[in-house]
Amino acid sequence: MPEKTIITMENLSKTYKGSTEPALDSICIRIPEKEIFGLLGPNGAGKTTTIHILCGLLQPTSGEATIDGLNVNRHLVQIRRIIGVVPQEIALYPTLTAWETLQFIGNMYGLKGMALRQRIEECLDMLGLLKFAGRKIKTYSGGMKRRINLIAGILHKPRILFLDEPTVGIDVQSRTVILDYLKELNKSGTTVIYTSHYLEEAENFCTQIAILDYGRIIAEGRPRELIANKPEYSDLESIFLHLTGRHLRDN
Amino acid sequence: MFRLLASIRKELLLLVRDRAGLAILFLMPMVLILVMTLIQDVSFRKLDETRLSILFLDEDRDSLGITVRKGLEESGFFQAITAIDGTPLTEEKVFQQVAQGNYQIGIVIRKEMSEIIRIRARQLIRRALSEGDSTMLSAIHKAQDSARIILYFDPVIKSSFKQSIRNALENFTTRIEAKITFQVFAEELSAFLPEGRQLLLEHRNGVNFEEIYATNQYNEIVPNSVQHNVPAWTVFAMFFIVIPLTGNLIKERESGTALRLRVMPGSYIHVLSSKILVYLVVGLIQFLLMMLVGITILPMFGLPALDPGPQKLALIILAASTAIAATGYGVMLGTIATTQEQAASFGSVSVVILAAIGGVWVPVFMMPGIMQMLSRISPLNWGLEGFYDVFLRGGGMVEVLPYVALLLGFFIITMSIAFFYNKFKAVSY
Repeated sequence: MPEKTIITMENLSKTYKGSTEPALDSICIRIPEKEIFGLLGPNGAGKTTTIHILCGLLQPTSGEATIDGLNVNRHLVQIRRIIGVVPQEIALYPTLTAWETLQFIGNMYGLKGMALRQRIEECLDMLGLLKFAGRKIKTYSGGMKRRINLIAGILHKPRILFLDEPTVGIDVQSRTVILDYLKELNKSGTTVIYTSHYLEEAENFCTQIAILDYGRIIAEGRPRELIANKPEYSDLESIFLHLTGRHLRDN
Repeated sequence: MFRLLASIRKELLLLVRDRAGLAILFLMPMVLILVMTLIQDVSFRKLDETRLSILFLDEDRDSLGITVRKGLEESGFFQAITAIDGTPLTEEKVFQQVAQGNYQIGIVIRKEMSEIIRIRARQLIRRALSEGDSTMLSAIHKAQDSARIILYFDPVIKSSFKQSIRNALENFTTRIEAKITFQVFAEELSAFLPEGRQLLLEHRNGVNFEEIYATNQYNEIVPNSVQHNVPAWTVFAMFFIVIPLTGNLIKERESGTALRLRVMPGSYIHVLSSKILVYLVVGLIQFLLMMLVGITILPMFGLPALDPGPQKLALIILAASTAIAATGYGVMLGTIATTQEQAASFGSVSVVILAAIGGVWVPVFMMPGIMQMLSRISPLNWGLEGFYDVFLRGGGMVEVLPYVALLLGFFIITMSIAFFYNKFKAVSY
């Protein structure tokens, strides 16, 4: 039985103030529940803009987006309770310890007491950070910071998790830990929306992908199906380069 | 409420771990109060506490020279230097020393000045008694032209200070002229009296001055440098919380934590409220520390102790209003500024400007008309005037309430600007 659609985007467009070119140009996407959905594309393709609109950080110029049937412009309060966001930046306070950071974030989601304590311990343990919980985040390595950045987004057990390049700039070990943990989360029912420039990672990690370029969807489907439909290309990266071209996107 | 408490805890932790920020918030204002009060104390000091060395060459060696020197030294502000390294002064030496900046003022009282005054007085009286004589008149003018005190000034001396020196000397010379005139008048009139009798005339000031501070009748606070300077620099320092506060807001934006906060449940007002509350407490602690400096540390440097007076509640409410106005200003700047450098430089310069037009350095009544009008729009002026009401004029709650209302109004306006700017930016993004 197919999973229900949890995210819909209907003719979603966004043109930034002062720009003549749209960052998003009438995109339509439906994301079923419990998928790991990859938004892929070169720089400036519109991936982060899409995530920001879905999280209520940006207003679309036109079109509509819903999460679990709730319109992102009108029901932001309810939506914020069921989503988790892991931004591209290490969006944490460097002078706070990991424990203090997670305690604050948990409190902001209404978690407290023993339940919060247990949840923090569980997350830190799963991502190998429990013994560093009392250290200030500014003393962490890049990989450790990425992992704590992830925990900050999943502490409240969101139904939908948005990840904006969660594995950028880290070592293989940290990347493996993060991706394995995300797969576990997905198995337990969390829908994951993920952007990345690592196409090999996306090919193995995502259950569905959409390739964006110049604000438009140029390919969509399951990675294996996309590769199977283009037998002249052996992997997702070859297809990606074929679709988006080799020219630089320094805009 | 729970989210607000969590945010407050987070803000406190961030503040406590920012050592540079803590120094700006607590240490710098205390040092500022100490240094500025000590420096500015000179204009409020009583006699004999400080003396400016003045080169004094008395070629007259008569009544005028003696009276001027005595008058200068008795004023308590000056010390007359008559020799350098054991060598008596000459007019050329006086000029050189002042020109080199070794001394700021040199006074030369030319030879026979006292005698010239006497001659002039005598001739004036004789002219009056003989009902006009043109030869006598020209002799009077000649005597007046040659009667001269030469003043050498270092160019760095402010014109107001130069003028006050001149006024003091004019005062001494007028006194001695009057005294000599009376003496001569008595001598001349004695010639008309029977043999053996003398006219006794004495010159005394007919007008006496009594200084009374126009304050609340129950006020027992004595105005002094500490009572003036501590509130002024306290208000100034309290407004400097805009620097760490704007830094805090911009850091959150740059690091992405502001974005994380915006996708969390709960209003962004929780986040801002926690900052406002924490910085309000910081402002009150700053105020208390600066009061403590005034009460305990300034006396160690020979200054009078700060007298906070009996109106403690009025003081605390005024301090809280000042802190909250400064916080609103910081939130507004932190919202509008795009970089930390921009916020820090604009924040500090704007506070200095608001302090200047608000009367922290120069009293408002001494400013030009346009600046006096501008001072009314400075929140630092509202805070300062409120504190002066309590610290100097013996005012209480009723007197400070208008200033409290203005400061709270400023907070509401700045917060509204920040709120709408944020909203506008999010929509137009």
